[in-house]
Amino acid sequence: MTPEERSAVLALLHSAHVTEPTRRALLERLDARYERQFFDEAEFGQLRALAVRLVPHDPADMDLTGTVDHRLHAGAGDGWRYADAPPDGDAYRALLAALPDGFETLDAEAQDTAIPAVQASHPHAFEDLLAELTEAFMAHPLTQYRFGYVGFADAPQWPHVGPNELEPREVAYGPH
Amino acid sequence: MAPTDALPTDLDVLVIGTGAGGAPLLARLASAGLKVAALEAGVRHPPEGIATDEVAQAGLFWMDERLAAGKDPVSFGRNNSGRGVGGSTLHYTAYTPRAQPDDLRLKTEFGQGEDWPLEFAELEPYYDELEYFLGVSGPAEYPWGPQRRRPYRHPPLPLNGAARLMQRACAEIGMRTSPAANAALSRPQEQPGYGTRHTCTNRGFCQAGCSVGAKASMDVTFLALAESLGAQIVDGAQVTSLTMRGGHVTGAEFVRGDRLEHLSARTVILAAGAVETPRLLLMNGLANSSGQVGRNFMAHVGVQVWGQVDDDLRPYKGIPGGLISEDTHRVPGLIGGYLLQSLGVMPVTYATQYARGTLTWGPELIQHLSGYNHVAGINVLGECLPYEHNRLELSDELDGRGLPKPRVHFSFGENEKRMTVHAEALMRDLWGRIGARDVWALPRAAHTLGTARMGTDPATSVVNPDGRTHDIENLWICDNSTFPSSLSVNPALTQMALSLRTADALLGGLKG
Ligand SMILES: Cc1cc2nc3c(=O)[nH]c(=O)nc-3n(C[C@H](O)[C@H](O)[C@H](O)COP(=O)(O)OP(=O)(O)OC[C@H]3O[C@@H](n4cnc5c(N)ncnc54)[C@H](O)[C@@H]3O)c2cc1C
Ligand code: SF4
Repeated sequence: MTPEERSAVLALLHSAHVTEPTRRALLERLDARYERQFFDEAEFGQLRALAVRLVPHDPADMDLTGTVDHRLHAGAGDGWRYADAPPDGDAYRALLAALPDGFETLDAEAQDTAIPAVQASHPHAFEDLLAELTEAFMAHPLTQYRFGYVGFADAPQWPHVGPNELEPREVAYGPH
Repeated sequence: MAPTDALPTDLDVLVIGTGAGGAPLLARLASAGLKVAALEAGVRHPPEGIATDEVAQAGLFWMDERLAAGKDPVSFGRNNSGRGVGGSTLHYTAYTPRAQPDDLRLKTEFGQGEDWPLEFAELEPYYDELEYFLGVSGPAEYPWGPQRRRPYRHPPLPLNGAARLMQRACAEIGMRTSPAANAALSRPQEQPGYGTRHTCTNRGFCQAGCSVGAKASMDVTFLALAESLGAQIVDGAQVTSLTMRGGHVTGAEFVRGDRLEHLSARTVILAAGAVETPRLLLMNGLANSSGQVGRNFMAHVGVQVWGQVDDDLRPYKGIPGGLISEDTHRVPGLIGGYLLQSLGVMPVTYATQYARGTLTWGPELIQHLSGYNHVAGINVLGECLPYEHNRLELSDELDGRGLPKPRVHFSFGENEKRMTVHAEALMRDLWGRIGARDVWALPRAAHTLGTARMGTDPATSVVNPDGRTHDIENLWICDNSTFPSSLSVNPALTQMALSLRTADALLGGLKG
């Protein structure tokens, strides 16, 4: 995240356009970093490499891998699971184990070539992991800034909702 | 324990769950002077504490793990049911169409599905009452169903981008549309027991909870009224069993914090939703002489079609449920029918649905998601028939409380498959007409229904037409589990009507 991006995000989050509960949630997420607790070091390295291919991002910007590890360690779930799949942590471990040895050291192209096979052999785990990483990515304030998403700045209300009817804060926010 | 946590005694009625089924009757019974209380597994979520952020608001949903089985496994969690004072109405989109009279007579009309053991005329006065009390915003003339006797209380809410595109596309093929009836305020309203509810600010986050009290969730409407009339709501209290003596229910045992506690009452009303209600009954082996508890689970056909346009739509703005069409209420070749609705969408919901629905990954995924501001959606909500093969059962796997996790089997039947194909083709045509690109469809089933159906015959149903269980004289059920058929409309308004009706039946019984 460049210093310009960071200050633009902070400026909007600290403005009167954002309610306190929203501000708190997003500020916390902006800098959230987690210590590895659930996976072992080798698994964690594989997971990070896979995460970067599935949902391309810079781990220095946002800790998507840590978010997954943290969730599993906390024992939190999303309310359901495919009945024929093992619990999330076991399912993810099996998916990682199915990756070729040294996956994290392969070049990007070779990594991408290896992915369809694990997707085919572990379809539920693949889908769940992809969705979980996508959620963490899309919920991150930096992604939202880069995509010009301003929906959280709703404290004043949105009087105009038709196509191309933008408020000044919607026009101004995001890269130009 | 603080004195405010003191439990009530000498209760006439104990209600388990405070959603669309539990809340209206709690207020009705309290206003009749009964001593009533509700146990609610979730906690209170006051509007001013609600963040405009989907991840922060995950606590509005029922996140205990459920196992999804069958050919079309249903996703639960954020897709399906709530937890909190107000239940699923905390995160519902507040679409409030009425059922049409023929929705209640599917078997008579088609020879398949089920008839309801009651008539539209018995629901109508409750619809009238509810639309006024909740403050539904809607059109002066609604094109479908019987003419309403009482107009909507408020004018319709403004239409957002997706709604206007759907309006244009439908007009091209001669399909009628109308601003939807929505239980969110287009003008401020005084709410008995609560105070002033404000006008909707168009923030589009209904499914993450309304931060201004504009949306008629139960907490700012019926539950506030109930509490002002003396009802007590014990939150953070998850019922784990019903207690019985001599064939009568005597109360409920529940976990609050780390303690197991008990409340007694003369009558108990289960309103825990169409998964937790049958789960509790099965765990306790109650009210199941028909063998119907957990049977006939239904989830509405809910295929969505999404696309992107050049216009800057900002799908986070405006009431997400803006425009409706019921022109497909009956379609030749289908049993029952469906309705169309335009869709606003929050970013995380959109992104995860896209990832699951298309399994796109890598740069292509990012490329697509970066177009979020240009996304427009449309979906249907259609009849799902009750089937023998769709059922809820207890699994061997235990949850954190040591109770069996529910396993729900769900597979579309022929009619649901045909309906999905028909609806998807129609919506793709509509989205083609507005020049949408990257169009994709998400086959989907929504809402949890059935599992403790109502009927007149104790051999084939769990509760009678008033909601009283056939087996246990002082145990009633009032939630989506009692729906004999799914109806081709969103369930909440009808559920609230059933709730008031059950209260009136109970009061009649008590008075008599
Ligand atoms: C995302 C979403 C959008 C929706 N949008 C619409 C819409 O636009 N229009 C519409 O009509 N419908 C909509 N619905 C559906 C609607 O919310 C439900 O049909 C309705 O709320 C169901 O009412 P209920 O009383 O059966 O259950 P709920 O409203 O879910 O209430 C059940 C309550 O019981 C509590 N409970 C469960 N078990 C226990 C226990 N053991 N002990 C204590 N308490 C317990 C739960 O915490 C919950 O609060 C939507 C649903 C979802 C998921
Ligand atoms: S769109 Fe309106 S009703 Fe929905 S959450 Fe926002 S303010 Fe509340």
